[in-house]
Amino acid sequence: MKYELVAGFETHIELSTKTKIFCGCTTQFGGEPNTHCCPVCIGLPGTLPKLNREVVRYAIKAGLAVHGEIAEIAKMDRKNYCYPDLAKAYQISQLYAPLIIGGYVELSNGRKIRLHHIHIEEDAGKLIHKHGDTYVDYNRGGVPLIEIVSEPDIRSIDEAKEYVERLQQVMRYIGVSDCKMQEGSMRCDVNISVRPEGSEKLGTRTEIKNMNSINNIAKAMEYEFERQTDLIESGGKVVQETLRYDDASGTTSSMRSKEDAHDYRYFRDPDLVTINISREEVEEIRASLPELPAEKFKRYTEELGIPEKDAQLLTKYRKISEFFDEACEGVKSAKSVSNFIIGQIFRRTETEADKEQFDVAVKPKQLNELVKLLDSGKIRNNLAKSTLEKMLDSGKGALDFISEADMGGVDDNALLELCKAAVESNPKAVEDFKNGKEKALKALVGNVMKNSRGKADAVAAEAKIKELIG
Amino acid sequence: MVTREDVENIALLSKLFVPEEELDGLTKSMQEIIDFADAINNAPADGEGFDNINNLSNVYREDEVVPSYDCKEILCNAPEQAEDHFLVRNRE
Repeated sequence: MKYELVAGFETHIELSTKTKIFCGCTTQFGGEPNTHCCPVCIGLPGTLPKLNREVVRYAIKAGLAVHGEIAEIAKMDRKNYCYPDLAKAYQISQLYAPLIIGGYVELSNGRKIRLHHIHIEEDAGKLIHKHGDTYVDYNRGGVPLIEIVSEPDIRSIDEAKEYVERLQQVMRYIGVSDCKMQEGSMRCDVNISVRPEGSEKLGTRTEIKNMNSINNIAKAMEYEFERQTDLIESGGKVVQETLRYDDASGTTSSMRSKEDAHDYRYFRDPDLVTINISREEVEEIRASLPELPAEKFKRYTEELGIPEKDAQLLTKYRKISEFFDEACEGVKSAKSVSNFIIGQIFRRTETEADKEQFDVAVKPKQLNELVKLLDSGKIRNNLAKSTLEKMLDSGKGALDFISEADMGGVDDNALLELCKAAVESNPKAVEDFKNGKEKALKALVGNVMKNSRGKADAVAAEAKIKELIG
Repeated sequence: MVTREDVENIALLSKLFVPEEELDGLTKSMQEIIDFADAINNAPADGEGFDNINNLSNVYREDEVVPSYDCKEILCNAPEQAEDHFLVRNRE
């Protein structure tokens, strides 16, 4: 029998506000242990948490970016559990009235992964286990998080990977989080089950906790899918439990089963008052959102005629798409701008980190000038390419490398003369071409390009030469 | 029913020392507290507005950093500490 994978995600994302969710301590990553703390975030008795306004705004932004509905009334709840990563023995979170309801993330195959809700909560401290004891650092305790809870709509590992990438991309675009999985500012819990293909009924699920890289998510899901399928095939039953994934062995192991699952005894936090979100505020935040990657992708492919594959590269990071947009202003051929970015410029921003920074020597305006010269027919593509290389080396503008004499192109008469000259001075190439060596033609065209200093139209030159010797 | 053992247990969890002669009195007091909570639980409160009787909403802080405490101050009440961390001993 063939089995289908069913998965849902709970994704924790640290918001990049300056201060923690309930106190004024910094949210900076790292720092000496227990130096970003105060009585509120280490949970001393008698302290009063006060909600950071910016956390609410960031969460609303995040909610709007994934098409969620912003609640009119939201409340904070206490989730009780006793573990040293939380000094208070409860985490302030939202259960009964979360800030954002619903929403979805659309994948490239057109499927929409529905979201159940998004809530805000505080992060826990960091535990270091050594010498058999536990060392606690509360610097991260109280850093604001949003938790994005999806419906079990994911049907493959590729969809899972894309879902996480899309969230990462959109949250970075709107600037609410840097979503660095390696630093823990984005972490996923994966709920996964299997069922016979075609079945509508959900199977018993397991939950893999705290995945901190897309690679590990894929590997853990693959392992868990195989494990559950094998178990069912051999007549066994999947047990609902919480698992941890071990990177070294590539396997999952049980943390706790349903029987000893926590009862968190959630209740309304009496220290924190009701959050009322006015519709005016929501609209104000909506208006402040930048154009989102999905919208950009649509515009690039549908209005500018950029191929989908290229549009994906251009929209992957906000800085690249902004560079592209600025360089496109008033140009006829957005495709040329795109080709220069994906060709010449990407060769100099090789790593993903470089692409995300997109700190290149040529400014968008300078690329814009170059493409306009190309648009107007004043220079040819070859010259534009070599000029761009020089611009990238030096940071100077196009006109520093292209003289008046270079511009103006080559008219038909001049082209004919150049082609004649090429044919006359390269009898061997002409001979080779006549004997069926197509490649020899390239040498002749190359000669024309060289003698015209790149100004000639290579396609027209090729046609002309064929005419002359054909 | 609150028992003497419950009180002993809660005292242990709260890291409080309760002398033997106070146990009976505390057991009675704790029972009264539970009864009081039960009475409140039984009061009709299905209507609106019971979770926000002072009608406060949107009490916010601005996102401005204030200096944190010195690590020594943060750790000064810790039962045990090591290398600027709170130390939790493994009981085994």
